[in-house]
Amino acid sequence: MSDVLRPQAAVGTAAWKGLVIQPAVIVLILAAFVIWLKLGNLSATERATLNPGDLLAYTGQHLALTFVSSAIVLAGAIPLGVLLTRRPFVKVSGVILALANFGQAAPAIGLVVLLAFWLGFSFWSAVVALVVYAALPVLRNTMVGIQGVDERLVESARGMGMSSFSVLMRVELPLAVPVMLSGIRTALVLIVGSATLATFIGAGGLGLLITTGVNLFLPRVLVSGALLVALLALLIDWLGRVVEHYARPKGLR
Amino acid sequence: MILWNYIVDRWDQIWFGSWQHFSLVVQSLILATVVAMVIAFLVYGSPKFSSVANGVSAVGLTIPSFALIGILIVPFGFGVTPSVIVVTFFAVLPILRNAVVGLQGVDRAVVESARGIGMGRIRTMLTIEFPLAWPIILTGVRISAQMVMGVAAVTAYALGPGLGGFIFSGLSRLGGANAIESVWVGVVGVIILALILDLLLVGLGRLTIPRGIRVKK
Amino acid sequence: MSKNSSTATGTSVSSRILLDAVTKHYPGQSKPAVDGITLEIPAGKIVMLVGPSGCGKTTTLKMINRLIEPTEGRITLGDEDVTNIDGDQLRRRMGYVIQAGGLFPHMTVAANIAIVPKMLGWSKEKIKNRVDELLELVSLEPAMYRDRYPRELSGGQQQRVGVARALAADPPVLLMDEPFGAVDPITRQRLQDELLRIQEEVQKTIVFVTHDFDEAVKLGDWIVVFSEGAHIVQYDTPERILNEPASSFVEDFIGAGAGLKQLTLNRVRDVELAEAVTGSPGEMAQDVLARVKEAGDGHAVILDENRRPLSWPSRRQLSRLETIPATPDAAIPLVTQGSTLSDALDTMLVSSAGAALVTDRRRSFVGVITVEVVMEAITRSRKASAMANDNDSPVGTNTGTIEVQGGTT
Repeated sequence: MSDVLRPQAAVGTAAWKGLVIQPAVIVLILAAFVIWLKLGNLSATERATLNPGDLLAYTGQHLALTFVSSAIVLAGAIPLGVLLTRRPFVKVSGVILALANFGQAAPAIGLVVLLAFWLGFSFWSAVVALVVYAALPVLRNTMVGIQGVDERLVESARGMGMSSFSVLMRVELPLAVPVMLSGIRTALVLIVGSATLATFIGAGGLGLLITTGVNLFLPRVLVSGALLVALLALLIDWLGRVVEHYARPKGLR
Repeated sequence: MILWNYIVDRWDQIWFGSWQHFSLVVQSLILATVVAMVIAFLVYGSPKFSSVANGVSAVGLTIPSFALIGILIVPFGFGVTPSVIVVTFFAVLPILRNAVVGLQGVDRAVVESARGIGMGRIRTMLTIEFPLAWPIILTGVRISAQMVMGVAAVTAYALGPGLGGFIFSGLSRLGGANAIESVWVGVVGVIILALILDLLLVGLGRLTIPRGIRVKK
Repeated sequence: MSKNSSTATGTSVSSRILLDAVTKHYPGQSKPAVDGITLEIPAGKIVMLVGPSGCGKTTTLKMINRLIEPTEGRITLGDEDVTNIDGDQLRRRMGYVIQAGGLFPHMTVAANIAIVPKMLGWSKEKIKNRVDELLELVSLEPAMYRDRYPRELSGGQQQRVGVARALAADPPVLLMDEPFGAVDPITRQRLQDELLRIQEEVQKTIVFVTHDFDEAVKLGDWIVVFSEGAHIVQYDTPERILNEPASSFVEDFIGAGAGLKQLTLNRVRDVELAEAVTGSPGEMAQDVLARVKEAGDGHAVILDENRRPLSWPSRRQLSRLETIPATPDAAIPLVTQGSTLSDALDTMLVSSAGAALVTDRRRSFVGVITVEVVMEAITRSRKASAMANDNDSPVGTNTGTIEVQGGTT
């Protein structure tokens, strides 16, 4: 048995290394950034734009966009994905996936702008755009995850007298968790990145630093914005990986 | 109707923008495929370097494209250069990941027997390993193609070429004549281009994947 | 069944199953997958459903627990008509085993086994005891295996857990769908022996689908041979199917070597064993040789203090020895009373003696089995099956169909 267990242990430590290195790198870059802000020869305008209060406010807006959109995506796309794997809807699931894939090719910036033209330049337009953009990975991975569950296990569960609902909750969903979580992480990272574009429709966020930097030609402001967004994306990605690590059912590799 | 008139009126401009967009993406993809395959060739033999490559690929993909464009404007200024760099950078990542996975997935026994009959390292790579890994690499290329179509639209912010210009110009003329039509053209144009390129890549697969290893549906 | 205790260890009353004119018609297919089958599964027996792939044997099995709903007909379990009761409730009363056990990889062995008892609302204590008891029943040390995950088990072990899980709530019926299809031949043979041993203890009504005729002969009390559309070509004991195949279809299905397959039917314990001269380590070899000569034998069996065979020296070997050594000879041909005659014959053929030593469950020596005895057993079982009458045969027919005579369609 030991030869069976060893590879898992090896995978475990490799995964752990990754989980530790990523936040360490994030913290390191953040620290370097703060030092650079303190020591760097910032012009008066730059200093005014990059004051800690404003930076926090932008980050807060960015996070608000991210979390509201993510919550809506999760609440909508997961149940929809589950529903599309149930027998009456299996036939339409292929069509819906194809459509969604097709829609995924739409550039995020275009989506944001179109929705703003339609719904007004606001926080909620940005949220709607982000939700539309990020729903696909969650939807797709929920479906793929459930469809990937060995059919014999489902039959075995039915054969033991589990109801369809019980099979879904106790066999299909737990086994689909790893695939679903990876879709959710992809979606979150997409949302964080795309939330940068919210600045174009007046919904704030860290993208504001980038556009301000470009418009007023303040390279340091521009770089600060880009760096903070990237760090935020890495952080969310890391959180996703931690959750994946712990939520993966034991017994699955 | 207005949209139709807009398209008819600006057909030359739209055609030119589409062509530039397509050309930017395709050239960057070719460059990215070569780069990714070379890196994959260098790292796939070592588990350590492979996992570093995979890590870089995963982390690279979390960087928002708009943030990267912003950073690159500082050293490279506006125009084509930052666009090409950004598009190529993002295009490399999925291809690299798939190329490493694909090369590692090639049966060691096949490689050994190739070496055993006297094929050199490079010849084995070119005639055995890359062809066998090609279906997986090509899948990575398709993923990249789809992704960088959208990325290329964002690079218009750095005044890069392509359809992204229609989106940003519509945004800047908010409320003005034809603003929304301009954005629609940009968005739909990119979707159509993505579709065309994907079909072309599927066709490429048909032509280049040896019949013996084609996956049966 | 004289036992009627339904305690955790004891067996519940097993139930007869009756399929009454059951048909399964899939929409869009002109021919029914199962065509008006009437089949009686006697209580406490193992009934094997065999036939070529696509013949409807699995569909028939799955209609018993209504994983597949019959289009027409009635199904009776014991005295109860279960055609229209809730499918989930019905399935909790029937064990179900599929290939590779169908274990849930995200649950431990114990959690897998506990699923049905939990659904039935058993107490934690009772479930825990039941799990350990079942693990012991399938020869897995509870302390060692209880908390493992399925992927930490070998294929054979997973299959054992699958059987334990199916037996968890002590259902009267066990349905098995090619359970041993995915394991290697040696493991399969062991699992089959194990199943027979367990069945001796639990006496369930077992319906077992297989495409392996040898497996059917080895395990079945009764065998149903199906042709396409679940048409019953023959429903009989293994002996009679081997000796008197109802049609050329059955003959073809049995394949070559029906005579040898008979050997799978009989156990070593069913035949008369020869006695042998025994000796113990430390005795003078000459004394033992003298006893061998007196008995007219060729060999002596050397036993240790627990009567376990150590070696099996011939007259010539004895004549070269002074005292009998205590060293065990790993190469002696050994079979147990539970082995099939086929296994015994295999063992003998590789030994130079044309015979094998037989031991009981505690590995003590009970006698010697010879090739002659095996041949005699074949002849005898042929005669016996020819004389057996039809009185106890269960019912198995198809209704509303023209009997296909010996034709493979």
